[in-house]
Amino acid sequence: MSTTRRGLLRTAGALSGMGLFSSLAARSAYAADTSGYKALVCCFLYGGVDGHDVVLPFDTSSYDAIADIRTSLYSGYAVGGDNNPRARQNMLQLSVQNASNFGGREFALGPEASELHALFESGNAAIVGNVGPLIEPTTRSLIDNGGVALPSKLYSHNDQQSTWMSLGPEGTSTGWGGLLADAVVRSNANTNPAFSAISTAGYNVMLAGQISRQFQLGLDGVSTITELEDNSAWLFGGAEDPERIRAILTEHYRASGAVRTNLFERDMAAASRRAIDNNEAFAQAVSDFDSLPVAFPQTYVGRQLRAIAATIAGAGNLGASRQIFMAAAGGFDTHDNQADNLPDLIRDWSQAIGAFNQNMQALGLNDDVTLFTMSDFGRTLTVNGDGTDHGWGNHHFVVGGAVEGGRIYGDMPPPELETEQDASHGALIPTTSVEQFGATLGRWFGLTEIELRAAFPRLGNFPTSNVGFMG
Amino acid sequence: MSRLRMSAGRGKSCSLLAGLFFTAAIGLSACSGGGGDGTPATPTPTATPTSTAEPTFSTKNEASRFLNQATFGSTDETSDALLPQNVSEWFQRQISLPRTSHMSVVLGAIEDTAPTELEYVQAGWPTASFYMSAIEGEDQLRQRMTYALSQILVVSAPVDSELFYQPSVMAAYMDVLNEHALGNYRDLLQDVTYSPAMANFLTYLQNQKANPNTGQVPDENYARELMQLFTIGLTELNPDGSQVLVGGEPVETYSQEDIRGLAKVFTGLSYDTDSFYDHWYSLDRVSRYSPLRPFDEFHSTEEKRFLDLTIPPGTQADASISQALDHIFDHENVAPFVSRQLIQRLVTSHPSDAYVGRVSAVFEAGRYTLPNGDIVGDGRKGDLAAVACAILLDNEARNDAFSQQQDFGKVREPVIRFIHWARAFGADPAEIVNEYYLFDSSSPERLAQHPFRAPSVFNFYRPQYVAPNTSTGDAGLTAPELQIVNETSSIGYSNFMTSFIRGFAPNFGDDEENGLNLTYPAERALAGDPDALIFHLSDLLVAGALEASTANRIVDVLNEMPIRTEDEEQRVRDELLRVQIAILMVMTSPEYLVQR
Repeated sequence: MSTTRRGLLRTAGALSGMGLFSSLAARSAYAADTSGYKALVCCFLYGGVDGHDVVLPFDTSSYDAIADIRTSLYSGYAVGGDNNPRARQNMLQLSVQNASNFGGREFALGPEASELHALFESGNAAIVGNVGPLIEPTTRSLIDNGGVALPSKLYSHNDQQSTWMSLGPEGTSTGWGGLLADAVVRSNANTNPAFSAISTAGYNVMLAGQISRQFQLGLDGVSTITELEDNSAWLFGGAEDPERIRAILTEHYRASGAVRTNLFERDMAAASRRAIDNNEAFAQAVSDFDSLPVAFPQTYVGRQLRAIAATIAGAGNLGASRQIFMAAAGGFDTHDNQADNLPDLIRDWSQAIGAFNQNMQALGLNDDVTLFTMSDFGRTLTVNGDGTDHGWGNHHFVVGGAVEGGRIYGDMPPPELETEQDASHGALIPTTSVEQFGATLGRWFGLTEIELRAAFPRLGNFPTSNVGFMG
Repeated sequence: MSRLRMSAGRGKSCSLLAGLFFTAAIGLSACSGGGGDGTPATPTPTATPTSTAEPTFSTKNEASRFLNQATFGSTDETSDALLPQNVSEWFQRQISLPRTSHMSVVLGAIEDTAPTELEYVQAGWPTASFYMSAIEGEDQLRQRMTYALSQILVVSAPVDSELFYQPSVMAAYMDVLNEHALGNYRDLLQDVTYSPAMANFLTYLQNQKANPNTGQVPDENYARELMQLFTIGLTELNPDGSQVLVGGEPVETYSQEDIRGLAKVFTGLSYDTDSFYDHWYSLDRVSRYSPLRPFDEFHSTEEKRFLDLTIPPGTQADASISQALDHIFDHENVAPFVSRQLIQRLVTSHPSDAYVGRVSAVFEAGRYTLPNGDIVGDGRKGDLAAVACAILLDNEARNDAFSQQQDFGKVREPVIRFIHWARAFGADPAEIVNEYYLFDSSSPERLAQHPFRAPSVFNFYRPQYVAPNTSTGDAGLTAPELQIVNETSSIGYSNFMTSFIRGFAPNFGDDEENGLNLTYPAERALAGDPDALIFHLSDLLVAGALEASTANRIVDVLNEMPIRTEDEEQRVRDELLRVQIAILMVMTSPEYLVQR
């Protein structure tokens, strides 16, 4: 792993300006604030959640407007009769503390998001409206007139997932979560850097750093190779010294010794070695997930947030003072059956986030842990029958004791077509960039302004680097 | 040293393969001195080389290496069978073999069960059928190509999804891929477009024309993924798969407007029934899985414009779809875009541009001349039999000088590792359906992969994935399979294999005799001689390429495990335990995990 080579590769692929900031960041190493404990938890909603159908227009005029534009979708919801989650009387109105920013407009969540609603009402959650990938501030007229730089490959799932996570389309090598973890590792915030960035949802470019690497955590904790377990002697027949066999097998799985020429073999050997070493260290530090104070729903996302909560509870034993986590689940690409499918998906997330926050409160960690949502993109305001298509800007949640909650940050474009924030068919042109959103979280996490500029190189294109939701 | 020694006993020939061998020798000497960075000289690419030579594989390990790329894994029997045969005949036979029908297996198993009556276990039949044919089917090349195509034209039926409860619909889709896997890619696109499985998965089933009154517009899902993932990709490509750059920047192939134009084409398709709105639940089984039917009253009558094509107003559904697919298929990106991914699935994760260029030329020409002079393919663009030959007989695939290079090869897919084990040691395919772990192997605690159950239309991994902070990543190599390799899945795979190798994977039902319980007679006969056992397993599983460090550790472990001979049952058990641990250690070694 030659640093020269890496440096060359990075420069070759770097975005303009990024190289300079990277070197500045390297010079000012150890600058990040690593006091106390802080964790960021990203919940990624794969497929592109329809923000238009999560943060709902509630005042009668806005409600009528969206119900008109989305006639077929709202009639799909009406099949539920008295339980119609998009009937005004069933919606959960938000008491927006900065309501004056939105004139007479009112907002609500669907009944499926009751936990998120309660968190908003108690000041533990904020909404960031119309956030999304941008190169620079943009409107419909500016786009029509040309001359404004736009993110590439808009509306494409994998590229916009990548852009939310890494500020570039698929193929971008580092994510902003990974760059945050890099700052942590450079500052020696964690005694074992392996546990700086942790995913419960497989590989994500979000957590890919230049020097940090993502640890994959199983839903029920880490696993052990059957043959290496203490009670594996029966697998070795009449062996007099099973311990010696386990020692040889450990060396086998750690693929120690032989240096391999083939790069794929080298990577597979390294992966196996990491699995053995990291899982053992994790198992020693983090206790049984069942010892958490509040039970989690047994959903995929519930089990992920449970694993993350247990890891945070054991962060002291892991020697970690800064950690960034990634949980994710799919199904949000609601091209069809949106009325049937979306509320259940939102309910799973809402319940899991509710249980997560209760655990953090019970553990006395609520002020130290901030959870936020991300997704491929928002969706069109127009409908295609019983579903919606790929959009751009979206509304997201930030949850935790450190959040200045009960407020809506950014912008909430009204449910109208052909406005300055309508790219087409009601796909929103974002008014807050992902980089502003990420930098607001990164600053709370402890990064210096220079480190933030390195992680979010286009921050200077926007009027502020602080959206305000972290104070 | 060289794995490839094609028979030169047919006289002085100018055949491609004989030429390759000559190049191999030069390449090898060049690279052994240069630290593995030199690229062997490559012969001039040619789509239709002519030759009358009939080369054969001269060693079993050469045959085995070839079969690991072309099939679901070599076995003692198949490598032996390939030795005296010439490779042209092998391809010709594979192409002509009758193909497996998943539909007959699935329908045979679920009979007339109505969707409401379908038992959970019965929904596992498409998976079981896939494994059964992969393990015992003679048409291995077709099956392996089918599996490769299932990762490009992705339809996924995860547990509890709508498609999971429609096993016959998935069987129909598997058969569509099977039918065209050695046929033509354009024909494949046609049948995929009309398949209820794809229409359900990418949500254009019962998709309708725009309704100006309600503001409703056509669903864009299939239009987008058809171009982005199935045919042309996002940026303009050269014939060798490299990006076209204008002013240093890639050129996007289509815009959002093109998507909107193409989306109108895929309106008006529904089940083969009388009413557009019929739900699959209420249909008879044949209507559920039959190709979709156009309902022109629901098809867009507007002008449809995309990628410089204008389909005139009033064109009906079938005609619109035909014109649209023809136009997309004409695009110059299709050949390199599809060829590179097929090379990645069969041979190597980061093929050279020249390799992609040669295969892509065959895709475009629609024909390939085998070493024996016979021609594969009918000359239509997109002939997949010709493409398969071009991929597997290419210098880069066959020439050992390439396989010795640091950037050659691919991480074996977990599903293929399992099938290889089942084939190599004679697992009984009839027992597959009883295996609980095979019912769903998607989680990283198992294989992190399950046939026809990718997490999304983007497959298990992306073709352009470069793993960060890795040796391949530092060298800029695409390595798709590394996207599913992590702490959990590394150990998950090992434990998954342990449970099968040792015969304690859980079964459905109470009968302990159910499921795969392998006895390894050939290997057990060698259990008393660790060296012989290891040579045998090395030949069987890694074409003779087991590393000394792995072999030494296996010997060390086996020497710790006595074979007690006092009691016959005890002796058999001790021999079996030795064999089992040796197989596990080979199959978890980096040289096995990477196919070279």
